[in-house]
Amino acid sequence: MSRTSRTARIALTASIASLSLFATACGGDDRDSGKAGSDGGKPVEITYWSATAGAKETVDAFNKSQKDIKVTFGLVPSGPEGVQKLTNAIKAGNAPDVATMDYSMLPEFASAGSLEDLSGASGALVKEKFPENINSLVNLGGKTWAVPFDVTPIEMFYRKDIFEKHKVAVPKTWDEYRAAAEKITKADPSVKITNFGGGDPALLAGLSWQAGAKWYGTSGDAWKVDMTDAASKKVATYWDDLLKDGLASKTPLWGEGEQKERATGKTATIIGAAWSAGSFPVSYPDAKGKWAVAPVPTWDGKPATGMYGGTSFIAPKGSDTEAAAEFIEWVTTNPEAMTARIKSQKTPSSALPANEEMRAVAAKEFDTSYFNGQDVYALAGQAADSIVPGWTWGPVNGAVVSAQGTSGADHTKALDLGQAAAEKAIKDRGLKLAE
Amino acid sequence: MAVPLTTPAKSRTPAARAGGNRRNERGAAALFMVPFFVLFALVTLAPIGYAAYMSLYREQSSGLGFGGTERLFVGLGNFTETLADERFLASFGHIALYCAVYIPVMIGAALGLALLVDSALTRAKRFFQIAYYLPHAVPGLIASLIWLYLYTPGLSPLTDTLATLGSDWNFFGKDEAFFSIVNVSAWQWIGYNMIIFYAGLQAIPRETLEAATVDGAGAWRTALQVKIPMIRSTVVLTLLFTIVGAIQLFDAPKLIQLRAAELGTDWSPTMYIFAQAFENRDYGQAAAASLLLAVVAGVLSYVVTKLGNRWKAA
Repeated sequence: MSRTSRTARIALTASIASLSLFATACGGDDRDSGKAGSDGGKPVEITYWSATAGAKETVDAFNKSQKDIKVTFGLVPSGPEGVQKLTNAIKAGNAPDVATMDYSMLPEFASAGSLEDLSGASGALVKEKFPENINSLVNLGGKTWAVPFDVTPIEMFYRKDIFEKHKVAVPKTWDEYRAAAEKITKADPSVKITNFGGGDPALLAGLSWQAGAKWYGTSGDAWKVDMTDAASKKVATYWDDLLKDGLASKTPLWGEGEQKERATGKTATIIGAAWSAGSFPVSYPDAKGKWAVAPVPTWDGKPATGMYGGTSFIAPKGSDTEAAAEFIEWVTTNPEAMTARIKSQKTPSSALPANEEMRAVAAKEFDTSYFNGQDVYALAGQAADSIVPGWTWGPVNGAVVSAQGTSGADHTKALDLGQAAAEKAIKDRGLKLAE
Repeated sequence: MAVPLTTPAKSRTPAARAGGNRRNERGAAALFMVPFFVLFALVTLAPIGYAAYMSLYREQSSGLGFGGTERLFVGLGNFTETLADERFLASFGHIALYCAVYIPVMIGAALGLALLVDSALTRAKRFFQIAYYLPHAVPGLIASLIWLYLYTPGLSPLTDTLATLGSDWNFFGKDEAFFSIVNVSAWQWIGYNMIIFYAGLQAIPRETLEAATVDGAGAWRTALQVKIPMIRSTVVLTLLFTIVGAIQLFDAPKLIQLRAAELGTDWSPTMYIFAQAFENRDYGQAAAASLLLAVVAGVLSYVVTKLGNRWKAA
């Protein structure tokens, strides 16, 4: 009895070992192979990882457009898995030369020494070709760590038919938004103003940003964290009250049932961002012509918004920054890149390029018939201009998002949990926390 | 390779020849065991050693962190920090609660099914054995994925049925997610343990069962008062192994947490380690926590084996 089990164990160990050897063999380092050849007329070879749609086609177009740099593309998973993959690759020393990264994760990588400083290669580009109000997202500690790809102003999508049916005007302030919610839900208790049951701390961050909060900042050589300021608390309380009073649905964002509620007219508005528009024809095809876009309500009636998501281009540690910066400049500012990207998609994304020239190309390709011909890109562009300047993401956003995620639909609690998690994580990493 | 296989070809005395054979056998045994020890050293000892080394260091940034990180020797600092982290301790609490719900359900169902298949009434015993065992043949990760789909409204026929019945059970809810995890584990392990129990039941001497029948015991009474007591040691062993296994629970909660954020990314000890390493980039502390978990699992295994031996003897 004991002998057979030992044999089995040996066999198991052996097979696991051979499997893992096999796996390592497959994951070998294939970088650096062509770099040395740059002098001899051969193109410089760089690698690029991304999870964004149309990235591969963009790379093909770049490779065709010139002979000096050859980019090899690698598709990575989106979301936390992609971030982990990049983290591990940087740790293992086989990271790509270029990668895309959410603005919210940028300081985390920069402050861990995982990124190359792009100040020299791309600093001027960022300053000249991109809106000033998002410079603070990629310039940290006096250095440029990334080049913006898109801007993601928060906007309000609303069901025109529902607002008309209940004779409610499109809200311009958050007070009017609540009044609209009361009126609509009173007339038809099954319809809520939106679903806001937690599930995406990034939206709470963006709405706090709009209200004037600055969750992170630096003072001297120390990080500041302030998620429990008056502005953020005002936002959290506002939404907690809407939920408590039955005016907003408790269905989590991205959560189960969200799709159904939104597709069947149970939610009168969706608080989304510029990139959301492209998903409407796919997600809610039957509601064509019923949805419209408007600026997100504000606290004082003056145009203002925050950002929700968004992607930038980085050069991970060990990157060939010169070649990387050249590719990044092309991909973030050359209209050809946008054309290649959009041509690859069946339903063009509505991502709003940060660079103005790119915007025109993207706008031309976007089919606005779903929104009754509303100029979705012009509206997004105006919203982008009203982004409250000065927001910076922090060095421990992963820990903050995890902690905030556990709060469910309690937004006030999310702020407290986020604050505590940020302070702890900053200290744990040996970073300096401002008192 | 290390031991010469050649022995003196001509032995002088029978005694010497016997000795030579024995040496020969030992050499052969050593040869067969070498691959095991090489692999054991490579895939078990070396990683543990590396983890121990890593656990003594910490990547430290300073100021805003843009200057990069430096490696500091911190001695046992990572261990004390881990032991003081309430999230680490809470993760063991979650597992204890999980055991409290999961073990009675799983053992109860496995035992019930084993008794049913063993009962004289059942036809097609082999079919049922295989059918119940099948879920265990599915790798844990795949099983979790299957259930993830079955829990997702819109994709799952299960949730639709529940909805038409008027239930608003949300498999990814704050409290419900716990039961969703228990369910995945139970689905995977009931059949496996049922086979073990069934084998135990088959080993009961038929005379004993006949005697019970002759004495007037019905099927129920035979099951409860004859069969179960006779496979008691098997049941207890299974229970103990399940506890040791539970401490390493990862696949199901990790996947379910993707949809049920409220569980937290550090719900189980292994998830805590994963989060420390790949979310918070604290590889040193993750290594320390891994070693602590290994110690806990090791101690538990030792206790279980000791208890198991005593039960076997009894």
